[in-house]
Amino acid sequence: MKCLLIASESAEVLFYWTDPEFQQNIQQQYGSSQEEGQGLPAFEDSISTLFAPIIISCSTMVDRLGDSYTSFTTENNHIYVLHQFDECLYIAVNGDGEEGEDALRRKIYVMKKMIEVRFGMVTLSSNLLRRELRPQDTEQRARLWKHLQGLLETYSHLRENDQSFLVEAVERLIHPTLCEQCIEFLERRLVQQLNSSAERAGEEVLHAFILVHTKLLAFYSSRNASSLATSDLLALIIMAQNMYPSNVDQDDPGPEDVESTSGSGPESFYTPEPSPTDRDSSSSDNLERVSSPMFEFMDPDVQMAEDSLQALEVPPPDPSTPRRVFLEISGKDGLYPMMPHSLYCLPLWPGITLVLLTKIPTSAVALSVYKFLEAFAKLEKCLNGGQEGSAAARGQLAIHDIRSKLDKFIKALGPSELQSAQLLNVWTEFKNQAFARGGTGFNKDLIPWCKNMKTQLCGIYRQCFLIDSGPGDFPQRLSPRLQERAQTMAQEKLMDWKDFLLVKSKRNITMVSYLEDFPGLIHFICVDRSTGQMIAPSLSTTERTTSELGKGPVAQFIKNKVWSLVSTTRNFLRKGYSTVTLRDGDFYFCYFLWFENEMGYKLEAGDIPLLPDDSAPIGMLAWDYYSRKLLRYYSKNHQGEVVRCYELLTVHLGVIPTEIILQHCRQLASKLWEPSRNPLL
Amino acid sequence: MHGPCTGLFGQCLVPPVDSSFDAAIGFQSRARSGSTSQALLNRASRCSYFFLYDGSKVKGEGDRTREGICYFYPEETPVDKQELLCGQLAGVGRCVSELSSSPVRILRLRRNKYAIRMEGHFFWALGCSADVPIASVCERLDQLIDLFCFYSDSVRQSYQLNSQETLSARWAQYFLHLQPGSSELHRIFSCLRTIDSTNVDPLLLLKAALILQACQRCPLVLAGCILFRGRVVSTQMSPELTMKVMVHESETYAKAQSSSSSLDAAVSSITVFLTTSELQYLQSAPVHKDLSSHSTPHRDAPQKKTRLSRTLSEMASTESDSSDLGPPQSPHKMSFSPCLSESDNSVFSPAPSQSTADPLNPPPQSPEPPFSNGRHSPEAEEEEALDESCYQSFHSNGGGDSQVHHEGGGSAFDERSSLNGGDGDAARDFRVGDSGNEESHDDEDDGAAVGNREGGCGSAQGDQGEDPLPPYGGFENPEESPRIPMMLYLHRVKGLVLALLTDPRFLSDEASMEEVYHSSLASLNGLEAHLGTVPPVPPGAPGAPGPYIFAHFDCIQSTLTTNLSGRPGGAPEHPFVRATSLLHSHFCNTKTLQEAIIRSAGAAVYGTRSVAHETYFQQHGGSLRNSGIPNHQDSAFSLPGKARHRLLKHGVNLL
Repeated sequence: MKCLLIASESAEVLFYWTDPEFQQNIQQQYGSSQEEGQGLPAFEDSISTLFAPIIISCSTMVDRLGDSYTSFTTENNHIYVLHQFDECLYIAVNGDGEEGEDALRRKIYVMKKMIEVRFGMVTLSSNLLRRELRPQDTEQRARLWKHLQGLLETYSHLRENDQSFLVEAVERLIHPTLCEQCIEFLERRLVQQLNSSAERAGEEVLHAFILVHTKLLAFYSSRNASSLATSDLLALIIMAQNMYPSNVDQDDPGPEDVESTSGSGPESFYTPEPSPTDRDSSSSDNLERVSSPMFEFMDPDVQMAEDSLQALEVPPPDPSTPRRVFLEISGKDGLYPMMPHSLYCLPLWPGITLVLLTKIPTSAVALSVYKFLEAFAKLEKCLNGGQEGSAAARGQLAIHDIRSKLDKFIKALGPSELQSAQLLNVWTEFKNQAFARGGTGFNKDLIPWCKNMKTQLCGIYRQCFLIDSGPGDFPQRLSPRLQERAQTMAQEKLMDWKDFLLVKSKRNITMVSYLEDFPGLIHFICVDRSTGQMIAPSLSTTERTTSELGKGPVAQFIKNKVWSLVSTTRNFLRKGYSTVTLRDGDFYFCYFLWFENEMGYKLEAGDIPLLPDDSAPIGMLAWDYYSRKLLRYYSKNHQGEVVRCYELLTVHLGVIPTEIILQHCRQLASKLWEPSRNPLL
Repeated sequence: MHGPCTGLFGQCLVPPVDSSFDAAIGFQSRARSGSTSQALLNRASRCSYFFLYDGSKVKGEGDRTREGICYFYPEETPVDKQELLCGQLAGVGRCVSELSSSPVRILRLRRNKYAIRMEGHFFWALGCSADVPIASVCERLDQLIDLFCFYSDSVRQSYQLNSQETLSARWAQYFLHLQPGSSELHRIFSCLRTIDSTNVDPLLLLKAALILQACQRCPLVLAGCILFRGRVVSTQMSPELTMKVMVHESETYAKAQSSSSSLDAAVSSITVFLTTSELQYLQSAPVHKDLSSHSTPHRDAPQKKTRLSRTLSEMASTESDSSDLGPPQSPHKMSFSPCLSESDNSVFSPAPSQSTADPLNPPPQSPEPPFSNGRHSPEAEEEEALDESCYQSFHSNGGGDSQVHHEGGGSAFDERSSLNGGDGDAARDFRVGDSGNEESHDDEDDGAAVGNREGGCGSAQGDQGEDPLPPYGGFENPEESPRIPMMLYLHRVKGLVLALLTDPRFLSDEASMEEVYHSSLASLNGLEAHLGTVPPVPPGAPGAPGPYIFAHFDCIQSTLTTNLSGRPGGAPEHPFVRATSLLHSHFCNTKTLQEAIIRSAGAAVYGTRSVAHETYFQQHGGSLRNSGIPNHQDSAFSLPGKARHRLLKHGVNLL
């Protein structure tokens, strides 16, 4: 019983995702309320009708009370979480007890992050985003929604099963020699060759990395690239996983697997919804489940409607076409969010992927558009604030600054295009209003023009980076031949390691190696928040693979404990508690968060910002709490010093004396990040 | 405060005798001056909205939302805003509950959160600021509705029988009563306010318990509690029921203060409505559960009439010779057996051996307080004189049924008494079912009967709501399950109040009433005199910053022991209170959690819980300075040891 819905203020559904149970529930309700009717409307219509009162009430509350709903909980523990980003209202629902309010809110923020990565600055204009999320063309809409639904499902699966997505930090494969070799390979051979090739069509490889399932084997950034934010890297891993889902069933080469390769065990393995790029379109999966005998209200008409939606699936695009992604870069003069890149995911073998991120030739346009947008946003804020004095003057100054630049920018775009002609018109009108004698000058009347300018700029951005070039044109990309070569090179390099890597990714580090030094320790997770990386022993809970925790239920129990511990400690962290120990049943849990400077010297614990209940979730994927909030807050007292932030979670047997447990924690904390032990970079 | 509230509380403008009582009962005196209205504002900021909306009155297109608003707090809210909130919240609540086929329980906004109850067309919402734990808000809303039903029976019926103003005044009264009074900690645990037992001679507590037991000699008396200045001295009822009784007590206190002759109000009674589970819980007193295990199925008729008391002394004697005397009757049989009213004389004549053997339960004829032992303080003498006159006024106060100053809820009660036949029937049906059950015990295994009773008891305890999201399955749906009318009898001696829940027939049974009155009067006087001499603890004094702070919550009795003072230190922003609130809700959410230590930059707090208790401890001083990295020499981790050691002297054993 899960659902995620994005709606505009006028209660138009911009996107939805539901699991089969929720869909069935909705259709049953609709059926019972419309028994006399002419059959059921399309699912999209019923969901829109049922949620409309909530959406409308939401905007009424915002308009008249200046407050908005954040969540509902019902007697039977259905949870609804609501969050409004600009004019888009996100609603996430859970009715099966698997997700709490925090998890739902996190899901909403992750969805927003994925939309930002997909649409970039177009998200800054609600008007454009609405059209982008809900294309008029039903075929296009079906394809887009399918893609986004796939991303959401992949994320949910990873969050529930992958420790690195639990704590939202990247996990590396711990194999120093191989790691080093691969980095060298990426740097000296792969990236160099690609960037010196004539077939790169003006693109430049900035980052190249190799993923084994969700774990990072090697990561290389070219010299003139800015560093890739953890948030973006995690989002890219989700995208790669969505394109080439690692099917645990097939590629687990554990020794026990040999006799059961048929894979028809009692356990059901997750297979994410195939993304549009997948050739086999088994996308009628949802439909099949819906038409199970349990569903009595099934009507042939619905079947038709749903079928027609499914049938609109177009042949998948050329796999060598890169995905446009919008990522943050840190330039000389600050951070620039949502700058266009091209993403190439080249599958080496099932489970192992080479990922290339390139800079596209026109990316300078995005930088300019962002600067202009920022100036207009600043001006609007000043004018809105009602201060027509010094603050307004500052906003005015920003416009004066960009005036000539914007003139040049428009000229360079060339007035032939409809979009740039519109921009020119609006800009001319803006200048008349703002600077000419007969105009309004810098006051509140200028606000609509600011808004209009922003929309026009987003439109330009959309045109440059989101619209595919016409069918006749060659798409902007590294040539397929070049991509193929990169793929082959990487395959050659890793051929001998392939099987090892697939096993290693399942058992990156294991508790066995710690048992002797840390008797009574059951599990731990250590995270370096400054680099966004984590280390944890593998937690395998499938029936067939035996870990140190035992098989099936026991391992599953401990896994559940670890998952709930993480959400508990986040709750305490949100309220300002950075040390937590809990005695829970037969276990003793510890959580520590601390700061060090660059030399590894422990810094004194300081105040931690208190967050409201409905703030963005603590983590690094959707919003980097640690660098954007915690470290900024903490660094105020440590000016000019590089502050690093670490977290350690441990699970011990409850019978171990607390003193010993704390000694273990201390040893783990100092040992794990020793450079000699884990050369992480 | 404006509107009906003023009418209700306007009469209590006389300054109360005792300032600590003033603080304890909270609302009556708060409306007095400008400075206290500030306090009211502060409180209001915590609980910002409370309303009851009746959707059945707004059906057609033309109906205005305001028609459906039954009560809205704060009452001075502009009607537009009232309509907006009621309309939107009720509407969105309806929509969500249709989607999920289950009523909405919690509704959060960015700045406020609301506990919601939806029943039939009624929609209740209680809104608090975002920092209050949601479990507490839900619990308080349930208490509010429960309180209303306790005094007025069904909500729907009340609104049919009474004017909206009358009922609004009641909501206002209950709402203000449940507003956090003295300290934030009390609010977190929503516990009963008890007298500070560390300052009171334990013997007095025992005496209070014995007075209550003596009252139960009358079979019509179900259970009772003794309150002193708005705090519980001793109670035989569940914490929830005690809390409900206390509301009426504080109301009569206000009346007693305002009326010129407080004597009229010395004894009063009112009809209250109990749920079946509450009644069962009262009837399955632990004493009987214990005894029924070795009860003999055959009892003599004469014994039924004489062995009616449940005092400890008698229990002892019962146990010693249970083979021939048999156990006392089960309470419901006692209270409902129709022959009892005829045999009044025997009801109050204890066995001769006991009247002499038990010095604490003297024959009721003796007016002398048994425990004053001849050492009369001047005040005590004064009181006795007073009581004498009180006694007389009691008797001269007209004869017959109107002997007791009856203050049933106006027309509600009148209607009810006119409907008495029907109600009586319902009640009788219940009794018949029960007694049938009782008889079947005789044939069946006794263990099963005990199990039955324990089941009832368990469901009553389930209401205490350990769960952060107490479903109201456990608690009686006021619209559906019929409540059983009972009498709440109050006997006030200055600050001391004896409150008894009795069978409705108790009111018409003059003899029983007189017996109860006389048997307890002297003891109450004595108890009042002794409790009165205990110096009221000046607020803030015990909270003088000691080396540590602790709070010890008894989940069963719903009582709190703490050395954190009521006011300045108990503010919600106090680190200890914040940590305690957080840990408490975490304990509620995680059943397997036994202990926890959490540390922020400013404070480290240790919390531990067992089945019956939750204890929180914070050590002051010592260097909290640390790097946050795990370190076994860290002072935070020595908290459990320190708590064990330090709290022993407060009677808290954490071993």
